[in-house]
Amino acid sequence: MTEVSTPPRTAESAAAVVTEFFDRYRAHDVEGMTDLCSINAAFSYVPVELWGKQRVLRGDGKVRTIGKPLWTGLIASFPDLSNTVHSVTSNDDGDVVVQADIEGTQQLAWGLVVPAGKHYREPHLFVFHVDGDLLIDAITAYWNDGGISQQLGHNEVD
Amino acid sequence: MTSSPVLTSTPAQIVQSFLDDFARHDVKAAVAAADPQVTVTVHPLGLHATGTEVLNEVLTDLVRAFPDLMISVSRVIATGDVVTALFKAEGTQAAAYAGAINQEKHLDIDQAWRFTVTGGLITEISAYWCQAQLYRRLAVKRYDEIAIA
Repeated sequence: MTEVSTPPRTAESAAAVVTEFFDRYRAHDVEGMTDLCSINAAFSYVPVELWGKQRVLRGDGKVRTIGKPLWTGLIASFPDLSNTVHSVTSNDDGDVVVQADIEGTQQLAWGLVVPAGKHYREPHLFVFHVDGDLLIDAITAYWNDGGISQQLGHNEVD
Repeated sequence: MTSSPVLTSTPAQIVQSFLDDFARHDVKAAVAAADPQVTVTVHPLGLHATGTEVLNEVLTDLVRAFPDLMISVSRVIATGDVVTALFKAEGTQAAAYAGAINQEKHLDIDQAWRFTVTGGLITEISAYWCQAQLYRRLAVKRYDEIAIA
């Protein structure tokens, strides 16, 4: 019988998974990013909210149903999308906190922002949880979406 | 010989104490948890400065503009000397804030504050929230005309 063993989760191994996630994000490997997440991984991009007349759409749900389409759309709208990781801290419980800048040049519409070829770079804080199988089972991110809008030349507070 | 209670507290306990003081609007007590040369970065305000006076101003501005400010902490995550707090800030505007005039609107904003604790004192704070969400709730229509209702 062949046994496949996963190395134990430590602060270091959890941080390595998340570092690989950002490497794949930088390579626009959305499938690879998703592969690093558990099948039911939770996803919350806190600033994402689109106010309609009767409801508000939020960037909350699962990696595979909300995160993956969102990352794919971002890369389509910002073909040079990239990230610079400034810090990664972690603990043995699988919590990983990352400070990173996300940047890109707009080529297609993004939400209500029409493309004007402008570039944005915005500091983000990501909070990940990595499970015992060394898969990411939760992603939460915070940033100032107003900063991105202004850098892209969109001055309406939608 | 007894050891200092500050030095025996964990980074998470120090940050929790800071948040408790801030939630009670006791800015003086909150600021006392910080190193005199604390680095304060508030990304949505474009603020990056050093010193407890800056921290005092950041906290005082919030309490002054939202006198019923309520801080509801959902998580405090310790990763070594770095502590990340996730919380919701709620309140009703009673004075101008970040350029937005007072229209007595209610604010509820999810935030993440990342602290570094060294030698029992907070030496770095980086605050993250979405200014679009803040302005939306305060009825600001345009970033280039923030003070116009």
